[in-house]
This record gives sequence, C-alpha cells and structure tokens, in this order.
Amino acid sequence: MRLIAFLFLLALLPLRAEEPVPPGPFTDAECVACHRKWDPMLIETLRTGPHGPESGVVCSDCHGERHGDADVKARQDEVCTGCHGGPVSHSHATSKHGVISHLNRHDEAGRKPLRPGNYRAPGCAYCHLHDKDHGDTMAGDDPLPRLSICGGCHSPRYARMQLEAGRRLVEIAELKTAEALALIDGAPDADCEELQRLKERVEDHARNVRLGAGHQSPDYQWWHGQPALDGDLIRIRDRIATARRRGRVSTKTTGK
Amino acid sequence: MRYPLIVLILALTALAGGFAFVEWSKGGSGAGLYSRHWSPEAVQGYWDPATFYQSPDSVQGVFKGEECVQCHEAVTPGIVADWRNSRHAKAGERVWCSGCHGDDHQRLHLPTPAVCGGCHGKQHGEFKAEADFGFPSHVLAMDRALSAPHFVDKPKAEVQSCVQCHSVATKCDSCHTRHRFDAAEARRPEACITCHSGPPHPDDETYFASAHGRLYRAEGDQWDWSKPLVKGNYKVPTCAYCHMEGGRHQVANKSLWKFGLLEVNPHTAANKALRRDWVGLCGDCHEAEKARQWLSDLDRERKQAWKMLNEAEAILKGLRTEDLLFPAPEERPAYPLEQRPRAHIGFYEGQASAFYNVSAVERDYFEMWYFDSLGAYKAAAHGDWARISKGHKGMAASLEKIRQQAGSLRDLKIVEQKAGIEASTEGLWQRGAYTDYNRDQN
Repeated sequence: MRLIAFLFLLALLPLRAEEPVPPGPFTDAECVACHRKWDPMLIETLRTGPHGPESGVVCSDCHGERHGDADVKARQDEVCTGCHGGPVSHSHATSKHGVISHLNRHDEAGRKPLRPGNYRAPGCAYCHLHDKDHGDTMAGDDPLPRLSICGGCHSPRYARMQLEAGRRLVEIAELKTAEALALIDGAPDADCEELQRLKERVEDHARNVRLGAGHQSPDYQWWHGQPALDGDLIRIRDRIATARRRGRVSTKTTGK
Repeated sequence: MRYPLIVLILALTALAGGFAFVEWSKGGSGAGLYSRHWSPEAVQGYWDPATFYQSPDSVQGVFKGEECVQCHEAVTPGIVADWRNSRHAKAGERVWCSGCHGDDHQRLHLPTPAVCGGCHGKQHGEFKAEADFGFPSHVLAMDRALSAPHFVDKPKAEVQSCVQCHSVATKCDSCHTRHRFDAAEARRPEACITCHSGPPHPDDETYFASAHGRLYRAEGDQWDWSKPLVKGNYKVPTCAYCHMEGGRHQVANKSLWKFGLLEVNPHTAANKALRRDWVGLCGDCHEAEKARQWLSDLDRERKQAWKMLNEAEAILKGLRTEDLLFPAPEERPAYPLEQRPRAHIGFYEGQASAFYNVSAVERDYFEMWYFDSLGAYKAAAHGDWARISKGHKGMAASLEKIRQQAGSLRDLKIVEQKAGIEASTEGLWQRGAYTDYNRDQN
C-alpha cells in the first residue's frame, strides 16, 4: 500500500516540477485560481460551504498568506476558535476529545493529514474539514460521514449507538423547546420583554444540548442544557400562571 | 423475660426484611435502588459495562493479540496507534488486546476497574477503599447517579448525560484515556475538567483562575509529567496533586466540607484530623500558619453561605407549611417515582433532584444552593478570590428574590381569599410536548 502511494507521489513530481511555487504572499484570488487546478473538489466544497465567498472568510484567515506551513497552520484549533468562540469551542475544549488533543498539541502539531491514526483525538478540523473537505463535513444530519470519521477510532456499533443516543438527547431538548414556545405563544402578552428573554434563553440551552451531543461534552448536554431548559420552562409557566391568577382576582374585584 | 426476646426477634426480622427489600429493589431491569422502575438504553452498556455491556456478535472467532492488531490496524487505526504508543505495547511487558477484552470476538468485554486491577492491584485497591469515606466519591459515583430520583423520573435518553461522568466509578478511562492509559495525562488538570466544570462544580474555572492555575497555564507544558505527584516535583499543585496525594487513587479521603453540598461541623475530631492532613499537604510549599489561615477563610466563607442558604430554606419551608407554594405539589404532574408529588426542600429531603417539576421559588432556591453556593465554595477552596464574591452576590440576589416571591405569594393569597378565589394553575403544569412525552413514554 505504501509502495503504491510512493509511486503515485513519484508520478506527480513532474507536474509539481513544471510549476515551482513562488514564496508568496498570495491573495485569496491567487490561491483559488491555482488550487482550482490542483484540487477542483477542494475549491468546490469551499465555494458551496459556509466559508464560501459570501462569508467574507479568505484563505489566509486560516492558512496565512504564504506556502510552507499553510496546511499545518490551518489544522490548529486556535485558527477556528478565534471566530467560533463561546459555547461552540468551550464544549469541545472540555470534552475528552478536546482535552486529549490539547494535551497532545505540541507532539502532533497538525503536521500530518487529517486521517485516521494520525491524531490521538479529533480537533475542530478533523471532523468539520475532514480529509481536505473545505465545506463543513458535519453540516446536515447524515450519519454516514460521522460513522466513517468516528470509525477511525471507535467500533461501528459504538459510533452508531453514540450517534443515536445524541440524536435522542437532542430530540428531548426539542420537545422541551416546543413546550416552551407553545406556552409563550399561548400567553396573552407573548411579546413582553420577559417572555421574549426566556424564549432566547431556551433556544440557547437547546443549542448547548446540540453542541454537547455533537462535541461529546456531558457538561453541555446536561448543566448548560437539559436542567437549564427545565428551569426556564418553570419560569415561563410561573410567569403565565401568576399573571392569570392576578387577572382572575382583578376580574372578580373590579368586575372587568 | 419474654418481652425483650419478642422485641429482639421483631427487630431482627425488621432488619433482615429491610436488607431483603433493598436487595429486591436492586434486582430489576435497571440498576441501583430504583432498578425495578426503569430499563437501560442500549448505549448505557458502554458507560456501565459490568452491569449492561453486551458483546457484539458481528465477528466470529478466537484471536491472538497479533491478529487483533493486524485487523484493527485497518478497521480502527486510531486506537491501534494509541496502543502502540502506550506502555502496554512496550516489549517485555506487552499487554495485548485480549488481556483486557478477552479473545473470543463474540464474547468480548469492556475492561472494568476489576480487569485493570488484575495488574494494577494497588491502585484498584485504593480506588475500592474510597467507598469507606462515603459521598462525595468517585467509586460510588455510578451508584449515586442511578439512585437519584431524576434518573428514574426523566426519559432515559435524557439522563444518559449523567452516566457519562458518573462512569468514573465503572471504567478507568475517564482519567486514563484509551488506549494510551497514560499516568502522565491523568496528572494534568485537564484530565478532570470534562466532568469537573459547569455551574455546580466550576473546578476548572476556579483552579485556572487561581495563582496555582495561572502558573500551570503559563509553564505547565514544559514540566516533566512522568514524575510522581510528590513534594518537590511540581512548581504548583494540580487537581490530582492535592486530591489524590502521592498518586493515591482516592479523592474522598480529605473532604472537609462534603463538596459544599452539606453544612458540616468543622470542629469534630475527624474534621480536625482532615485539616491537619491539608495543612501538611500545603506545607509542601507553604508555611503551616498560612495554610491554617486559608482553611479558616474557607470556613468563614461556608459559614456566610450557609447563613444565607438556611434563611432561604426556612422561607421555603414556611411557604410549604402555609400551603402557599404555587403550583401546589398536587397540581404538578405525576412522575414514575412520585405519583403524588411533594415539595423536597433541603439536602435530606432530596434537594439535589429539586430542579424539575417544582415551583419557580423552589427552582430559584435550587440554583442558589447548587450553582451560586457551590461556585463560591469551589472558588474559596481553589483560591479564585474574585469568584467567591461573584457567588456570594449571586446568593444574596437569589435570597432577595426568594423573599420577594414569598411576599407576593402571601399577598396574592390574601386578595384571592378576599375575592373568594382558589389559587389554580388551570392545568398549566400538566400539559406540553415534553411533559406529555415523559408521562406516556417513560
């Protein structure tokens, strides 16, 4: 297998030799124009993915402006967390995957391609930009890419059961969200500041459950997620039921 | 003469009956005290393998270690690479896959602490003996999770989150992650933060903000983590340095304030002995007098915290006595363990499960007790001075809110009585997408 890969690389050498790469710096348009020739799929996934032209993200944001260690640079979690901070990165950083990749960051340092066996645990790019995908490999609910990526370390049954457990956990959070939104929508003062604030909080907690399930962070699944949803469901009900109690009193006493 | 004998026989029968009942109640499809009330999700086998794991039957055959590696090199290269870099793969003392998983692919097992203990007997012995110190505890953690009322009351898909951390009792890879199982990794504070983070136990936040944690963050990457956790080897202590002193696999043996959950008497002989241990430990770097000072600062923090908590608890118990909680317990939905819900106020009534199916004022107390107070406690214990005041401000605000709510509940009841109206939620607590699902499916 290694021999075949080596011969394949040898075959590519003349191609590389034809166009020596200048040192840079390069503009975004230059990167895209050249890499379209080398790897059209990469550019296509970039163009149609969340970091496409409309996003305002350019190649150098993650890779720097020069060749050399451009790939190594973009494999570091810090490249992502500069923009994707808060619960998104914290839920990964406190997960076992996040902890293990953090503790091994100096040994592994992003030097190897993002493929099974090359890293002890996945950082951001390993799952979301897997094997040169420049879209978001984790976008959508398709279990197949997930099963394949998790399968680099975990047994197929383990990966399947964990994904299934995560899906069911998120469904529970969706039921709580639906319950909260139905309560708010049914309130006579649904647009009041307090209920709208509670609605936003509920959506945040539900997002934490999704992040916790996706990043395998028990803390986000639970303390930042499910019991937080329980608490705001209680507050929403209390707000509505207490207003009704007051309403009944005032109807009875004023006759209105 | 006959009466004492009858009393003795009755007492012994009752005692035996009690034990028999507890054993019977643990004999259901689930596990723990309420095992007869629930059945596990399939995935729970991975978190509690001794109780629930079932081997896959997809591959047939009995394999030698070399054969496992050869095949899994292609199937799951990540774990093979990890094992190759572990001490288990070192020549001379090689531990093959079958050493922990068995060699029959249709009868595989996940290694429980007992399996690891086959070789690591000292550590396993220490780990098991931790049970002698009671809660809080690593070795009793799974039991604690499964015997919590909310584990039974809530959908099993929801409470799978709980067992992920509480599996620290049932697997060793919570700290020594597979398949490297590195002691050096478990010595670092990050090994603990997956579970020791978040509102009730911000151990990560408070440690990293402390002087110890700031120094660790700045320099820790350069230290030699292969060294044991003893005096002189590390510039600052990490979680394990203090809580698993000398590498002893026990975290509960020096618990002064019981995780902050319980108001304890710090002046008992047993507590004083624990304090001497702590002062000795801090003495690896600090003067004993300074260490004693920090411990009395911690006591002072706890005293203030419990003053506020006890006041809030008294208000809530008052509301319950006067029948002012809204909704009243009987207006709340029935759960598997409580067909007739009641208000659980205070540690000994099950405050730790009082975060769902309660009234707003009870939930506020839960957050004051579990989030504000425990956060302040962790801050005081770890030396994150700013976070102490944040926790206490939070507690003071919660207490004020609870007072105000109690006032409004009283006022509302008075005007209702004058108007001849009964307080009612009009069934608002009984319906909803999640509430219906839990009633019908759980």
